[in-house]
Amino acid sequence: MADAPKRLRDYGLQSERLLWPTKGPSKFEEELGVEEMERALGLTTLDKAVRWAQTKSMWPDTFGLACCAIEMMSIVSSRYDLARFGMEAFRSSPRQADLLIVSGRVAHKMAAPLRQIYDQMLEPKWVIAMGACASSGGMFNNYTILQGVDRIVPVDIYVPFCPPRPEALMEGIIRLHEAHQAGIEPAYARREVAT
Amino acid sequence: MNSGDMKWESLPGFVSIKESFGETTVTVEREQIRDACARARDDGFTFLADIVTTDYLGWGDKGVSGYIGTASGRDLHQPSTQGYQALPAPKPKRFSLSYHLLAMEQPRRRVRLQCWLDEGDPVQSVISVWPTADWHEREQFDLMGVQFDEHPNLARLLMPDDWEGHPLRKDYPIGGEPVRFSDAE
Amino acid sequence: MTIAPEKTARSMRDWPIVFPPAYEGSRIPARVPTILDVPADLVGSDDILQINFGPNHPSTHGVLRLIVDLEGEQVVGLNAVIGYLHTGFEKTMEQKTWWKCVTYPERIDYVGYQNAELVFVLAVEKLLAIDVPEKATWMRTLLCELNRIHSHLVFLGTSALELGAISMFWYCFREREMILDLYEMVTGARMHTRYFQVGGLAEDIPEGFYAECRKYVEWMPHALDDYLALLDRNVIWLERTKGVGLLSSEDAIALGQTGPNLRASGVDWDLRRDEPYLAYDQVDFRVPVYGGGDVYDRYRVRMDEMAESTRIVDQCLRRLERMDGKPWIVDDRKIVLPPREELHTSMESLIHHFKIVTEGFRVPEGEVYVAIESPRGESGCYLVSDGGPKPWRVHFRAPSFVALEATATCTSNAMIADLIAIVGSLDAVMGDTDR
Repeated sequence: MADAPKRLRDYGLQSERLLWPTKGPSKFEEELGVEEMERALGLTTLDKAVRWAQTKSMWPDTFGLACCAIEMMSIVSSRYDLARFGMEAFRSSPRQADLLIVSGRVAHKMAAPLRQIYDQMLEPKWVIAMGACASSGGMFNNYTILQGVDRIVPVDIYVPFCPPRPEALMEGIIRLHEAHQAGIEPAYARREVAT
Repeated sequence: MNSGDMKWESLPGFVSIKESFGETTVTVEREQIRDACARARDDGFTFLADIVTTDYLGWGDKGVSGYIGTASGRDLHQPSTQGYQALPAPKPKRFSLSYHLLAMEQPRRRVRLQCWLDEGDPVQSVISVWPTADWHEREQFDLMGVQFDEHPNLARLLMPDDWEGHPLRKDYPIGGEPVRFSDAE
Repeated sequence: MTIAPEKTARSMRDWPIVFPPAYEGSRIPARVPTILDVPADLVGSDDILQINFGPNHPSTHGVLRLIVDLEGEQVVGLNAVIGYLHTGFEKTMEQKTWWKCVTYPERIDYVGYQNAELVFVLAVEKLLAIDVPEKATWMRTLLCELNRIHSHLVFLGTSALELGAISMFWYCFREREMILDLYEMVTGARMHTRYFQVGGLAEDIPEGFYAECRKYVEWMPHALDDYLALLDRNVIWLERTKGVGLLSSEDAIALGQTGPNLRASGVDWDLRRDEPYLAYDQVDFRVPVYGGGDVYDRYRVRMDEMAESTRIVDQCLRRLERMDGKPWIVDDRKIVLPPREELHTSMESLIHHFKIVTEGFRVPEGEVYVAIESPRGESGCYLVSDGGPKPWRVHFRAPSFVALEATATCTSNAMIADLIAIVGSLDAVMGDTDR
């Protein structure tokens, strides 16, 4: 054994046996044994635990605009099942949603409702710009299409292609999960534009 | 689709008739377009498929390019382009307004009623002939600036309500942003 | 067989009468055929609640905004506001060469994308006056019919989802995934395939496609039976869709409806049969027509059309299986890129390739209007060319644009829950509406 596994007290955790000297072993300790129980315990910080919970049930808002919305609907379908990530509950009300997947081209007329929806979401909130049109205006470089939705909302993940395959959108969502789990702040805390 | 036995010459405001690519285009005077449409509807064209405006500003201005020349010479700045081989036929006025009609009852036929207008010329609305013209005319007003008289609700449809200008006109810029490495045109 | 106009909100006989705005502060203007205005006895009463069925709403029809006057649960006033997805296709396409333009129409009607591509390509081919090879024609027919099934599946899945039959969404999208697999096998992309080219198809049909397609054709009738079993004998579905959203045949023609909306109102008109294009005059199919004019009939028309489309796909497969080795694109080097092998040996091919890629081919001067039967109705493309490498004017006649005009007429004596069923049954795709 290279180095002995760390005991709880090495992490600075006071077990109740130290604080309450006359207490005998708990039921778990009796059944598992002290060594086993320390190995079976998971140790984390509150921050990480909260992030894990947020990641595992990040509910999107129904913000389907154009063609990408059809591919977004197909990740909910049974082949590319989004429910395994806990995200099949697309909330209609932005006040109940965590994630705004901007799927489709945003016209200037729609930019104001988009910003309003984004403002109605509660922190923490993330934005995925799905597709080329949401990321940068796509193939439409003209008088009516907003050249990238990051002009008006801060974006976490850009998913390219026109429209992205459901697997591509899943990759974007999983990267968002990993980024959040790793401690990266949502975009509104990082980017200085469009907050 | 041919136009059957319809006597187009008896249409109010009739100017000319043209057959090309298997389609019939009947040109009528702008002032009498509603009477012409009503007459067409009574003759069986109960279905209005579409109303389109085309802006011909700058038609033929590109000139002829390439090794083929005209009496005015050829464009020496673009000697080996494939662009225009012949000047397109000149148009009477700036805008053409086309009504695509369809007769579903026998004999089945399609026709395009066309009238020509300059900027600012009003056109009578055909909403009383075919109610579906409502949104088509609003769209043409919105995007091309054609004024339709006696339309009950001629407001912008596709662009935001406070938009200025009529985007589909040829003198309205395409907008958008300059992108690195894209063509000069 | 058709319903009487008295049962609908208005008919052409009421027209044209113009009234002032319904009440002070109403955002619904004077009486127009596409607007439902508040009855005179309710004007000025405090019972009217005006709500905004905003551009972002859970029914997955995209960005449609309805301003609705409610008296209790009943809809007494309605105005549809569109334009939230206006993309400026028509102006953007004027800047691109003919070759590059083909990617744009697909995004207009993004559920029936093959049909949208087809209408533009057919219009350009009409101006060029070229004959497309037989193999390309049959393959185009096959893909367009698959696309029709795809569009009706999306319609069925989302409409049923809104009315509460949530499992239908998953069943329909299961079949939809099978269709998209077929598209991916042939064209490389699931949606927006850009497979139709001016002159034919972009590439040859890959091996193994016919077998996969045949498997799909054999499976599809079972899936349709599943849907019928789930919905058609379901009392809740029948109560929510029968008698709701009535549109008489007179009004449907006056309001420019086409496609399933028109056929559900009793008018027997289908462009595939009456003005045949592609290979539709050589296939055998029936056109479903129902006379009720309500949401249930529009649903039935689309269900039957799915079955008929499967039969058409089957017939196309039989013809295509015997066409191995035939050309899939026209041979005219002035319009179509030469095959890459030729570029190594032939100088003229190299020059043609260069010219077509850099400048684009020329299309003769003229104007055409081509109409096809897209899953939504008559989809048309009006094209004006000045003889050069770029279009002068492109306009798309959008069936969804016209379908939404009928929302007010269908919504007579409807409650707000019925409004959702009606808007769903009109099957409007907002990309098609706003262009």
